Amino acid sequence: MDTIKRDPRKEFGKAVAELAETDERIVVLSADSGGSAGFKDFAEQHPEKYYEFGIMEQGITGIAAGLATTGKIPVFCAIAPFVTCRPYEMFRNDLGYMKQNVKIVGRNAGFTYSDLGATHHSLEDYAIMRMVPGAVVLAPQDVGEIRSAVKAMMDYNGPVYMRIGNGAIPDLKKEAAFIIGKGEILREGNDLTILSTGSITGEVLCAAALLEDQGISVMVIGLPTVSPIDCEIIKYAAEKTGRIMTVEEHYICGGLGGSVAEVIAQSCPVPLKIHGVPHVYATSGSYEELLRYYKLDAKGIAAVAKDFIA
Amino acid sequence: MDLRMKACDIRTDIVEIIHRAGTGHIGGDLSVTDILVDLYYKQMNVAPDKAADRERDRFVLSKGHSVEALYAVLADRGFFPKEDLLTYAQPGSKYIGHPNNKVNGIEMNTGSLGHGLSVGVGMALAGRMDKKKYRVYVVLGDGEMEEGSVWEAVTAGGHYKLDNLTAFVDRNRLQISGPTEEIMTQDKQEDRWAAFGWNVLSIPGNDIEAVDDAVELAKHIKNKPTVIIANTTKGCGVSFMENQVGWHHRVPTDQEYEQAIQELAQRRMQYAQDSE
Repeated sequence: MDTIKRDPRKEFGKAVAELAETDERIVVLSADSGGSAGFKDFAEQHPEKYYEFGIMEQGITGIAAGLATTGKIPVFCAIAPFVTCRPYEMFRNDLGYMKQNVKIVGRNAGFTYSDLGATHHSLEDYAIMRMVPGAVVLAPQDVGEIRSAVKAMMDYNGPVYMRIGNGAIPDLKKEAAFIIGKGEILREGNDLTILSTGSITGEVLCAAALLEDQGISVMVIGLPTVSPIDCEIIKYAAEKTGRIMTVEEHYICGGLGGSVAEVIAQSCPVPLKIHGVPHVYATSGSYEELLRYYKLDAKGIAAVAKDFIA
Repeated sequence: MDLRMKACDIRTDIVEIIHRAGTGHIGGDLSVTDILVDLYYKQMNVAPDKAADRERDRFVLSKGHSVEALYAVLADRGFFPKEDLLTYAQPGSKYIGHPNNKVNGIEMNTGSLGHGLSVGVGMALAGRMDKKKYRVYVVLGDGEMEEGSVWEAVTAGGHYKLDNLTAFVDRNRLQISGPTEEIMTQDKQEDRWAAFGWNVLSIPGNDIEAVDDAVELAKHIKNKPTVIIANTTKGCGVSFMENQVGWHHRVPTDQEYEQAIQELAQRRMQYAQDSE
């Protein structure tokens, strides 16, 4: 694993800007949020493809739908709860119901706005966004994957929600083509499978290394597509290790764990541990403190895993 | 044909559709009819075989509950066979109680209020970006103006000076629970929109000539979107439904149906005599 960490927002903005150079259909919409989404240079270079609307997430989601009816690909990125919870019905009716080709990106998701409190945390986005029929929900795990996922999201014709984190995240793997709906084995193991998504996968891989030191062999599978979930790889993991744990920077209900539980219960019943944030308005603190507090740092994840297989 | 007569025919179709299916928002259908007739029979560049034409004018029925009026107009204009409406509101039919784009001629799925004007702003913005000549028309209800999200769209439309966008407020002064002014004050609609930078026209909205004049005028206004406050009568054209809050979503009995059809036929005959 590379120890250099990079800002996912900047890489996201850069990836969109690169594609927009050659794809005339891409239009970036801002809710007073474009600069923080990495679009500062893009806005200056391409004012004709960049529209500022101020703080009106409901309006922008509808406007995006209107733009998409004419063949444009609007990209709307802002703080995660403000593009998911706030305009949820616009996502459901104006985008999902009509399969509009709009890309909604929630940045600073999970706990990344840690000290700003529960209004700014995004711990239910996987759950609510995957409830919209036909919507694709992505949570790339490192910046290389953000870049390839941005490309895949633009190539896909339909509504997509992508979650990206804040701060700096480590590179976990070589950049490769992103296939929507496919998971990937990031580490082989025999005693337990941990399924992970989003930038917390970095902690999961560290946890797996800690567990290895204690004689526990863990397979780690990254599922950067939360919906549609990769059923095949889940079944494979159930068969191979007989026990599954999910880890997510999200509530323990309705998200990755819930999604995996739906598959396991119906297709390959094995013991399952869903690990994430308890279903409460979370406390605040620094990002690292919150991960420790909710046992989502490498040590915490390893401890929960050890208890599970004991 | 005199468009007033066409409006009588459409109203007759609406009453029939709702009576037959046993469901529908009849009051608002009848208040918005003249706006739809002017747009679909005179003003808009739309046609059944051009439903995907990039140059076509766009229409969004943001007050989606008036879908029966839209179905009646689209069927009569040949977007789909009239017989299709026999399945209206039945399981499996695409002709459901609010607009959806599986139906030929319908641009936008609506139903929950406060969505359509934002979509219209997006369509208008795209038209400007692509240097298209098409115009965008959005019809809102006056009760719908209570939705905060409408004002996000009003703000954006004014800010971007979208002169290819025309909104209507079907100002029939009633909503499901009672008069709009009792539910939540809606007065000074004209001042409200003007404050956001819109060109405002206030007209008698069941006078089809007045509707047509306003739509025509809006086409020539530059650097501002236009809103037409259409002062209408809920239930317009059927005496016992007019201005009656109970007819928001009531279904006529067989006797009421007969009377409504008769009244509309009489009115049509009067217009026919007028135009001779």
